[in-house]
Formats: sequence, C-alpha cells, structure tokens
Amino acid sequence: MVASRSVLWLAVALIAWEALDRALHDSVLVAGPIAILGHLMDNAGLLARATAETARNAVLGFLWGNLAAAALAALVVVVPRLERVVSALALLLFSLPLIATGPILRVLFGPGNGPQVTLAALAVYYTTFLALLVGLRAVSQSWTDLMAIYGRGRWSTLLRIRARASLPYLVIGLQIAAPAAFLGAMIGEFTGAERGLGVLTLRAMRGLETEATWALAVLSAGTAMAAYGAIGWLGGRALGYVPVILLSASRPRASRSFAARLIEAAGIALLVVALWQVAMDAFDLNRFFAKRPGDVLTFLATPANRQTLLAALGETIAFTIPGYVAGLVMGAGLAALLVLSPPLERATMPIAVALRAVPIIATAPLLVLAFGRGFTGTMVIVAVMIFFPTLVACLQGLRQAPGQIVDLFGLYSASRWHLLRSVRIPAMLPAFFASARMAVPAALLAVTTAEWLATGRGIGVLMAMTASTSDYNMLWSCVAALGLVAAAFFAAVALVERAVLARYAPEQLA
Amino acid sequence: MARPVALDTGGAAIRCEAVTKSFGKVAAVASITVTLAAGRTTALVGPSGCGKSTILRMIAGLEAPDSGTILLGSDPPKAVARRGGLAMAFQDPSLLPWRDVRANVALGAELARKPADAVDTLIELVGLGGFAGHRPAELSGGMRQRAAIARSLVSAPEILLLDEPFGAVDAMTRSRLNAELPPLWRDRGTTAVLVTHSVEEAVVLSDRVLVLSDRPARIVADIAIDLAPDQRGHDTQAVRALAQDVFSTLELKD
Repeated sequence: MVASRSVLWLAVALIAWEALDRALHDSVLVAGPIAILGHLMDNAGLLARATAETARNAVLGFLWGNLAAAALAALVVVVPRLERVVSALALLLFSLPLIATGPILRVLFGPGNGPQVTLAALAVYYTTFLALLVGLRAVSQSWTDLMAIYGRGRWSTLLRIRARASLPYLVIGLQIAAPAAFLGAMIGEFTGAERGLGVLTLRAMRGLETEATWALAVLSAGTAMAAYGAIGWLGGRALGYVPVILLSASRPRASRSFAARLIEAAGIALLVVALWQVAMDAFDLNRFFAKRPGDVLTFLATPANRQTLLAALGETIAFTIPGYVAGLVMGAGLAALLVLSPPLERATMPIAVALRAVPIIATAPLLVLAFGRGFTGTMVIVAVMIFFPTLVACLQGLRQAPGQIVDLFGLYSASRWHLLRSVRIPAMLPAFFASARMAVPAALLAVTTAEWLATGRGIGVLMAMTASTSDYNMLWSCVAALGLVAAAFFAAVALVERAVLARYAPEQLA
Repeated sequence: MARPVALDTGGAAIRCEAVTKSFGKVAAVASITVTLAAGRTTALVGPSGCGKSTILRMIAGLEAPDSGTILLGSDPPKAVARRGGLAMAFQDPSLLPWRDVRANVALGAELARKPADAVDTLIELVGLGGFAGHRPAELSGGMRQRAAIARSLVSAPEILLLDEPFGAVDAMTRSRLNAELPPLWRDRGTTAVLVTHSVEEAVVLSDRVLVLSDRPARIVADIAIDLAPDQRGHDTQAVRALAQDVFSTLELKD
C-alpha cells in the first residue's frame, strides 16, 4: 500500500519533471529524466569507472573517519575529564570547510587519492562521534553500579555494556555518515584529482553541459542515498529498532562565568596553534608548502595581504548569513505549520528525514544553473543545505511538547495557534538551536564550495587561486581565518541561544 | 528436574566502624557503628532520604565513607567485589535488554568470574522456568525482578545487597515475591542487607531490623525478628505485632 503509493508519487514527479524540461525547451537549466537516462546510458562505462573511484575513496574515508570517531568517543567516555577539550577540537576541525582543507591536503599529499579519503573521513567523524557519545551514555546508573559491584572498572563497562548499548546510535551515525563520506570524496575531487565523479562534475559545469551536470548530480545523490538507505535497512534488521536522536554539539554549560569561558577558549586556541606547529614539525614537512603558525602571522603582518584576505572573507560572510538565516527560518517555520496538521506532518517527516541526508553539494551545480552564479544562487545553496536538517530537528522538537499540557489546552478548547505559541514553540526551541549550531559548519561548507565551483567571489575562490598559483602563505592564512570565523560564528549562535532560552525555556539552561 | 547445585556461600559478617558520609554540605550518615551477623538478613528502614541507600552503597563499595571503616569479613568492600563476593539487586531490575533471561542471569556469574552451572537451576527456582529464552521487554515487572534476583544469586555471593528490589512492583506481586524469593538466600547462609520503605516487608524478610533516624542517619532502634518460617507472611499476627514495634520507633514527620 505504502510502497505502491510511493511508486505513484515517483511516477508523477518524473512526468512533471519531464514536462518542465519540454516546456523550457532549449534551456540550459533543466535536463529531463529521459535526457538524463540517455546520458547515463551513452556514458555508462565512463560513469561506472568514475562512480567506482569516488565510492572507493568514500568507503576508505568512511572506515577511517568512523574508526576515529569510535576511538574519540570511547576515550571521552572512559576519561570524562577530556571531554571538553576533545569535543572543542573535534568541532573546530569539523567546522573548517572541506573545501578549505582540501587544497592543504592536496599540497601535503601530492597527487593520488589521499586528500579524497581524508576529506571523506573528515566529513563523517564528527556526526558519528556525537551519535556514539549519546549512545555510549545511554546506560542507566544501575548498570554501571552492577559492574562496580563485581569489581569491574570503566573499560569492562565500556566493552560489555556501553559498546552494546550504543549500537542503535552507531547505526544512526553510520547512516548519516554514508552520504557525507561520498560528499567528502567528491569535494576532494573538486580540489584537484584525476578521476572520479567530482572531476566529471567540474568538467560538465565548466562546459555548460546541462545534461551531463544533471546526470552526474542524480548519479552521485542517488549513490549516496542508496548507501544511506542500505545502512538504515541493515541496522534496522540487525537491531530491531533505531531510536530517533538529534545530533548536535553539546551546549556550552551556563553555570560557567564569561571569564572562565574566555580563558577556556584561549586555552583551546593555544592548543590548536601548538598542535598545528607540532604536526608540521613531527612529519618534517617542507616549509615551502607546509606553513607554520609563525609563517601565517608574518604573512598577515603585511597590510596588502591582510586586506586581500579580509575583503574576500567579508564577501563570504555577507553571502553566508542571509542564506543561514533563511534556511533556519524556513525549516522552523515549515515545521511549525506542519504540526498544525498532523496528517500532513506524518506524510512529510519520512521525506524530510531522507532529504536531510542528500549531499546538497552534489546538487549545488544544479542550483547554480537555476539561480545563477551571484548572490541568489549562493544564498539558495546555503539555505537548502540548512533547511532539511532544521525541519527534521524542529519537527522532533515540536513533538516534545508534554502530552498532558497539550491535553490541558484541549480541555479548555484553546486554539491551535495559542497552543503553538504557548507550548509547542517553547518546547521546540532547544531542538531549533541544536540545529542552528550544527548549521554553522554546514553553511560555511556550502558557501565556500559554491564560491569555489561557481561564483568566483569570496574566500572560496581566493583559496582556489592561491592553490593553483602556489601562494601557500595565503592558502594557510585563509584556512586559519576560516577556522576563526567558524569559532566566532558558533560562539555567536551559542550566545543568542543562551539569551533566548533564558527568556523562554530557562529549565533548559539548568 | 533441576540438578542440585552448591549455592551455600558461607557469608561474611559486615562490620561498620564509626562510618560517616556527607554530600557537599549535606550530612547523609552520622557516625554509625554496627556489626551485621554472617548468614543473616538485616533490614534498614527509615524515613525517605534518610541515608539508608547511602549506607548500602558504602557497604557495596560504590561510595567511599568520609571517615570510619567498613569490613566485609576481614576485607574492604572493593577487595570482596574484585573476587566476585558481592552481588546486588536494585529497584530497577537493570537487565540488559539485548540479552535473554538465561544470558542475563549468566551475567552475574560471568562478571564475578564464577562458573555458570547454577543458571538453569536458579531460573527454575525463581519461577521463570518457561522464560529462559525471553528478552526483558517480553516479561512483566515481577518477572524481571525475579530474573534480577536470580542474577544476584548465581555467583553464590558472600554478601547480597538488596536496594528496594521489590519497590517497583505492585502490592500483590510484591507479597508473592516476598514469600517465594527470600528463602533462596536465607536458606543458603548468605549475609544479606535489605533497604526497604515497607516496614512489613522488612519484618517478613529479615532477622533484624535497624531503624534509622532522619538525615543524618543514626541507628535509633535495633529490633530482632525471631520468627519461624511459617510465621513469615504479610498477614500473620506475629508480623503485624513486630511491624507495630518498628513503626513506633520511626520518626515520621509527615
């Protein structure tokens, strides 16, 4: 029943798509399903090889990234004192747009698939880390007491209890990681590889080949979604159920003073600089391309360099914020509207959950085709990237409204709007801000990728240029600046979150 | 028919010497000195929040006293825990949802590094004979508690700690469990300490009831329960009389 209805909807969508293509005859915007299928069949050999190449890099990165996530999560659970530092470093590294890390990895690795695999790993480790943290802690105190009663310690608890209890959460993490790994591998290919779907995408975009661009976007999104579906299906079969969880960086605790947080932030910044220096020295990397913190500081001491960087950065930020806000507002707004109509909500939720996992970057070339290479195109890419995760998170948050209070409002025949305003939206706020925090890295990734691929503005294109002209001082400066921007952006969101929650949901800050 | 298995444990005496404990500024346990006889069951009762669970957790080695010493036999709790001599049943049966009853019961032996040959016998004895292959989610609250008691006995512990093990089941199930399960450890000479809110349950299950004061906990009464096995039921005259004695010593504020 459900399956046949899905097939029906799919058929309707395909026909509408084809009709749109026919209506916009000769346009460079849209390629219809028939044309896409034709392109896929004509180039089957080439596309199969490229897909295999990208998939291989994605799988390797998936393995490495998830292994790293498991190791980090286990470490934090066994030694809780490390959590704040490990989480902050993990978040910072994750917030660096892959498109910024890519060129650096390219110069460090040289040719080959090193950067693709590393970027795929970087794209997946953080969400898996978060999922595992939730899962490893989804353990009641009586279980840990039970272990202690028999004289067993933290490691034994980790292996016997926590590891098993975290499996459903691991499935969620791996599921989200599958398309992300694919995305990471493709971005690695954007930054200078010889083979793979990313390389073909770049070529198709530059040649304004509409059919090829569409065919590649469909192929890569389809492959990534197939991996997402397969992991969910396998996990569901193996475990019987998969819980619903929100993946988000933990909220900075409120009980700490501003000064204490400032000192901690400074400490983490120093640690990052030290790690950067030590990593470069430990592998004895060539100073010509492996710049140290000191090189960047010296470089930025020259006013002309500083101005170039700041101008590009300013453009990027001006492009990011409207898209970021639009994506959040649309996601939360649609969620609030949907909850007024439960049948519509039930129908939308699974679609939104699936679309959340679509590697939006794979479809970025299409959005650029449709909305142009300017402000609108970039904004749409950023907004779309943020929209689906926010919608899903807010729908989940809206469901958190306590049933008895909802019943109470019903008892007094309060209007739906009244209920929405007084109960549901306050209940949704924590989930909204959780997704607002996770949207920061997503927005930066989207904007820099759009700049690199299409718009020819901002820090994305500055990095593309410096990478091709071997201006490694500027490249490293760009990456450092993006790291700072990500951290500041994140802190600003946390500040707003604290202020709003203090007013509307103070119990969340306790 | 289940084959006979040696479950006799030769329980150890528990000695608390001037034990105190506070959490931050809240004093939970004032100086307590008491010896709980080997092979007997002692119940701790007192007003809620008085610190009885804290005493139990210190005997278990889950909390360290601020001052004073606790010895189980001649060893500190952690040493007994490491050799598998302790077991505990909680209010929440805390079974692992991914293991069936048999594997959950076996966990007790596994963690204590003891042989698991008593698993099936105990499953029979606690009345879960037909349910060894069931997961906790498929059992009622009382059945889960039976499985948890079986898990705590399977390692033949020297000392068994019971923290409100029947607190979360309904009254009728509770009185059945009170009648059926305690002989499993009482008859085997295990030293047991029971924390309960129910004065009647304390009388039915124990050889001695220690009545604790409101926080910080002190022992305000020490009542011996000298009942024949056939007198140990919730509605016997003897139990009611003893429960009345215990009640009269409790400092109930509301």
